[in-house]
Amino acid sequence: MREILTFQPEYAEYLRDESRKTGRADSISFPETEEEVRGILRQVCAAGVPVTIQGGRTGLAAAAVPFGGHILNLSRMNRVLGIRQEDGSFFVRVQPGLALLELRKGLEKKNFDTEGWREEERQAFVEFCRAPEQFFPTDPTETSATLGGMAACNASGARSFRYGAARNYIQALRLVLTDGDVLSLRRGQCLAEGRRFSLVTEGGRRIYVELPTYQMPETKNASGYYAAEAMDAVDFIVGSDGTLGVMTELELKLLPLPPVIWGVSCFFETENQAVAFVKRLRKSGAEPAAIEYFDGGALEILRLQKKRSTAFSALPDVEDWAAACVYAEIHCGEEEEALKHLYEIGRELTASGGREEATWVARNDRDREQLQFFRHAVPESVNMQIDERRKVDPVITKLAADMSVPDSCLSQVVALYREGLTRCGLESATWGHIGNNHLHVNILPRDGEDYRKGKELYREWAKKVTAMGGAVSAEHGVGKLKADYLTVMYGKEHIREMAMAKKAFDPAFLLGRGNLFAPDVLGEEEG
Amino acid sequence: MKIIVCIKQVPSSNEVRLDPVTKTIVRDGKQSVINPFDAYAIEEAVRLKETCGGAVTALSMGIPATERLLRDAMSRGVDEAVLLSDRVFAGSDTLATSYALSLGVRKLGPFSLILCGKMAVDGDTAQIGPELAEMLGIPHVTEVNRILSVTEEEAVVEKQADGFLETLSVKLPALLTVSKDINMPRLPSIAGIRYSEKGPFRLLGAADVGADPERAGLSGSPTQVVKTETPRREQECTYLEGTQAEQAAAVLDLLREVRR
Repeated sequence: MREILTFQPEYAEYLRDESRKTGRADSISFPETEEEVRGILRQVCAAGVPVTIQGGRTGLAAAAVPFGGHILNLSRMNRVLGIRQEDGSFFVRVQPGLALLELRKGLEKKNFDTEGWREEERQAFVEFCRAPEQFFPTDPTETSATLGGMAACNASGARSFRYGAARNYIQALRLVLTDGDVLSLRRGQCLAEGRRFSLVTEGGRRIYVELPTYQMPETKNASGYYAAEAMDAVDFIVGSDGTLGVMTELELKLLPLPPVIWGVSCFFETENQAVAFVKRLRKSGAEPAAIEYFDGGALEILRLQKKRSTAFSALPDVEDWAAACVYAEIHCGEEEEALKHLYEIGRELTASGGREEATWVARNDRDREQLQFFRHAVPESVNMQIDERRKVDPVITKLAADMSVPDSCLSQVVALYREGLTRCGLESATWGHIGNNHLHVNILPRDGEDYRKGKELYREWAKKVTAMGGAVSAEHGVGKLKADYLTVMYGKEHIREMAMAKKAFDPAFLLGRGNLFAPDVLGEEEG
Repeated sequence: MKIIVCIKQVPSSNEVRLDPVTKTIVRDGKQSVINPFDAYAIEEAVRLKETCGGAVTALSMGIPATERLLRDAMSRGVDEAVLLSDRVFAGSDTLATSYALSLGVRKLGPFSLILCGKMAVDGDTAQIGPELAEMLGIPHVTEVNRILSVTEEEAVVEKQADGFLETLSVKLPALLTVSKDINMPRLPSIAGIRYSEKGPFRLLGAADVGADPERAGLSGSPTQVVKTETPRREQECTYLEGTQAEQAAAVLDLLREVRR
């Protein structure tokens, strides 16, 4: 069996993730197979030791940061296990530690290590090689994210405007429970009766789950357990933030890659023009696959970064007058059709106060890479700036909002953010998935006082966004950092319901402690 | 000021993909692109036009499909485009290509500057610019990384030489080949793409430019490719096993072997 290693200083990096929060741990393991995961869980959980599950540690909500106990790091479970074809669609079976980047490489080059694959899967692979290029549509910015992590937080990304979140592409999964037993779930095969599940493990144990009774917001959402009438059991596990079991296998649905993918960045003099454009664009016939936003603060950081660092010198120049940028992506079968959509975008932006001259269009790989570099440079630059400030005042971390609201509230939520930032005099950069009314407002605290003000502001926003019918986390998951906002969103009673549902899977509350809700949420009952 | 930019169509990627089943090259329509160095020449020409006034013409020799790339150049600020395309030009080496381009340039009438990329990424010869200048009887400077000033009579340019920078003044008309340091090429705008769809484009054959068939295409090409092959890379990866001491000893043995 894979060793359970006593925690040593050399493993220090496993105490943190991209949230920049640092925890502590007593032991760590790096299993490579499901069998090993089962053994480790049996041993560790029997001893009552809490377990934190890790993938690529790219999460922004500290879900993979351990607060004591054991770290189960899945990064070595990174194999592609097989491929299947059904009704013209391809499904790829992967281990949870596989990085998105590696999956993409394999899909693009049609190159997987097929050793150990079943005969029918090798056959399907031959078909896959003959078929047009396939892709997995979920596209978080950080491609070193693992598929398991993406499933755990129901990740999305820019293209979720058209394709939806990761949940839509998770067809089946295997979940190891704290006693080492396994739950194997396939979409369509286990539906809730009302709000009640009755699941049977491979060991023959029956698990009854009473689902929380809340109505989920009708927006992009990664806040708490997915719960609805007659829902699919797969959907309950996806987005559960590592609190129910350890996903050891995922089957992902692939889509054919659109032959034509064009990107266009449109610059505006004011934020209001950009918002007006987004509203028009959503209703237009341009059918964008992604609608992204960069505000004046984000553009200013890029201008500075370009001047300061040679690594960013290849960034295209953003003109001084530009105070907002909207990026739209066109996915099409033919160039002719893409051109029609592009002109439609041009008309909508002119009607919103923009100019067709003030756009960047990427129609080939080289130009696309440039736009991608531009988009990725924003979060990277912000993180670099925060790291610099942390050196002066270690209390400072980035404060990043991940809230979404319904379409009808876009102007309202933009105004809410702008008003708060101005009132509190905070430095900020905002970007994100404006097509889904989902903006990452990033506060850049200059000192501890700014940090405190920023946190207070987020709490205030969480309340107001909830009142608009929105979600406190749209794609990063709740993890540990947003557990507090989840209570704001659903209220204490619903949080208790979530904890009860968790208990059905993890009776001793050992998995992902501190994720979604505090471990003592059922404290009084446990007595 | 009239500026001519010479551009070449090259494959978009250096990576040739093999079908894992049939083991043949995958030709999935991944587009060819403007030679990356030529993109800098286009940008520099457009910038000069924006500061000095005038017009930019893009010139290429190639298959009819090259029109797409010339129109792409128009979307990035080029005013008009000319494509030399004829069976007579097929199989040209650099000399025959320069000959054809020189005829194209003469056909376009008086000009002040010709800009080229310093080389193409497929052939890597870096010969077209200098050869074209010689055929036209005009001065040229290669690997320019800055144009310091331009008047109707002369251009002052900075060129990267071996370990130092040269500042040169050159009488116009002249030809410059540019390096990647010279600028940051812009992306096309929607307005630019609209223009490029309808912008002036001319297709010229060998007869239109008065080409001598003996000097054009394969018959005008003294270069003979005797053989092409993929270089063999002989690299091997050995994993060392055992204790640290054993591994260290194995490394030592390997190093001794290499020294021999």
